[in-house]
Amino acid sequence: MAALEIENVGKILRDGQAVLRDVTCAARDGELLAVVGPSGCGKSTLLRMVAGLESVTSGVIRIGGQTVNELAPQQRDVAMVFQNHALYPHMTVYENLAFGLLVRGTPRANIDLRVRRTAAQLGLEAMLRRYPRELSGGQRQRTALGRAMLRQPAVFLLDEPLSSLDVPLRAELRRELSTLHRSLGTTMVYVTHDQSEALSLGERIVVLAGGRVQQIDTPVQVYHRPANRFVAGFVGWPPMNFLAAESFDDPTRVPAGEGALEYGVRPECFCARPGGADDLPLTGRIERIESQGSEWHLELTHRLGQVLARLRPEEALRVGEQVRLWVKREDLHAFDRASGLRVEL
Amino acid sequence: MSLRTRALQVTTYLGLAILAIATLFPLLWVTSIALMRAPETAAGTPPLWPHHPTLYNVVDIIRRQHLGRYFFNSMVVAAATTALSVLVAGSAGYALARVDFRGRRLVSWLVMLGVLIPNQALVLPLFEMFRAVHLINHYAALVLPAAANPVGIVLVQAYMRGIPAEILDAARIDGASEWRIFRSIVVPLMAPMLAAVGVLIFVVSWNDFMWPMIAMQQEGMQTLPVALAAIDREHYQDIGLMAAGATVTILPMVLVFLASQRYYLRSVIAGSLTD
Ligand SMILES: Nc1ncnc2c1ncn2[C@@H]1O[C@H](COP(=O)(O)OP(=O)(O)O)[C@@H](O)[C@H]1O
Ligand SMILES: [Mg+2]
Repeated sequence: MAALEIENVGKILRDGQAVLRDVTCAARDGELLAVVGPSGCGKSTLLRMVAGLESVTSGVIRIGGQTVNELAPQQRDVAMVFQNHALYPHMTVYENLAFGLLVRGTPRANIDLRVRRTAAQLGLEAMLRRYPRELSGGQRQRTALGRAMLRQPAVFLLDEPLSSLDVPLRAELRRELSTLHRSLGTTMVYVTHDQSEALSLGERIVVLAGGRVQQIDTPVQVYHRPANRFVAGFVGWPPMNFLAAESFDDPTRVPAGEGALEYGVRPECFCARPGGADDLPLTGRIERIESQGSEWHLELTHRLGQVLARLRPEEALRVGEQVRLWVKREDLHAFDRASGLRVEL
Repeated sequence: MSLRTRALQVTTYLGLAILAIATLFPLLWVTSIALMRAPETAAGTPPLWPHHPTLYNVVDIIRRQHLGRYFFNSMVVAAATTALSVLVAGSAGYALARVDFRGRRLVSWLVMLGVLIPNQALVLPLFEMFRAVHLINHYAALVLPAAANPVGIVLVQAYMRGIPAEILDAARIDGASEWRIFRSIVVPLMAPMLAAVGVLIFVVSWNDFMWPMIAMQQEGMQTLPVALAAIDREHYQDIGLMAAGATVTILPMVLVFLASQRYYLRSVIAGSLTD
């Protein structure tokens, strides 16, 4: 067990493409750090650099205080779970789990004990003699997880381990992973392109885009105080609505800051009735109502564009009619139009 | 099963059966002729089936023409060539596909170029080279030039590219040394392709004619096809004897195919590596 520190790390490929620029983040000892960002933003590259599978162009990576930049993957005490499981196809589940201990010269009896214990933890006891091709998607990913866990590494790296699974299975394994992290207490870095996965699993979240860190904070902070427009739009589903002051019925009541601002309102922050005197009204025509059972998704056309609102179902709401919705001042996010940075109102 | 798929199946099997017969018929006929004696083989086209099957021709060609000696030569050369070139193709193919080193693309291109050069074009330079190092009339003259088989290397390289690189990365993270990865992961995964390359190289080596004829001129050092051609020049009227020689020549290849067939089937059934 150890902390992971990534300091000013950059990665430039042979063809000159800069994949990562000046990335600084850290996972505390025992922490589950989620790294989230759109596809191609450099998440896998970052993880592979921590594992030693990619060279570090600039900056420093430390595991447990020791600089590991020049260490081969074999010498870093890390384990990794790959997106496509990467199990050894010619080995049984037992052999897949045992391989890492075997090559490190662990005594056979000890290997057997640990393999069986891990298999039991992951519900794989009955699968030990099967080959990866004879397993379901979930069992394969569990095996990959087991292979990584078994060695009790200092840092546990997971690269979109659930993205190849279907939705119910993904939810199930997500819960298991969370439990597992609590029981193992190992430092984990969990990479995903799925913001909801990052929000539900991460103790802290690193939002990455275009090879740069956009924000590092707890899920609550990232969600409620996004550092810039990108994070605001990327985290949360359905995504935040972006509005101009003129979108509201009375632009003069919209709090202003220095320079031109863009405003953000999360879909669930609209109310059908005013809650206080300060609430800002916004009027629009209902274009579509999508019932989600416990709530409705309303698509409105207002003066300058469209917004999506999540409301409690109300029979009075009808497609084609005008409706006035209310937004609390504290639910209003503001971003500088030029820099995209968050502006406190 | 619908009528259409049924009809398709019947047509497929019919086509395969015709192909199988067209392939097997000459082989079986030659074997059959090898078991015949003078009156049957003397008069024009021999019959399809021997009336009094006998091993006389086989025993005769092995005894009088010392076929055993040439068979031994061919076996040594083909076995050594196969072993050596599977080793080279396996390691070179892996390195070209998955090991990052300077000049990899250039080497890949050169190997590809090697596939395109016809063997006949190499005979003269090879002869000069081997004469210079006094290896003419040695087994090495036949084994060494064949050791780096570009077709084998290209086949292994392509096969290796189909194996996800993450599997090797996983082994690295598991703590395995590069050599251990090659031994415990790469070789077992490449095994079906190595077997296929081995069979291919064995057959090519066994059948090779031009270079062995030139490189092995000393009596008793010839390979089976070369020796057989010499016997043919002397005894071309004796169809039975020639058929016996052909049968003895073909036999090892049939055995190699039969022995490796189970392995191919298993690797096909085993299915893809990635899912
Ligand atoms: N080996 C490579 N060769 C060329 N481009 C690469 C290589 N590895 C990564 N890249 C590039 O680096 C960027 C980041 O890739 P990656 O780390 O896989 O992103 P992510 O995992 O966030 O989807 C992409 O634009 C990709 O094209
Ligand atoms: Mg990735």
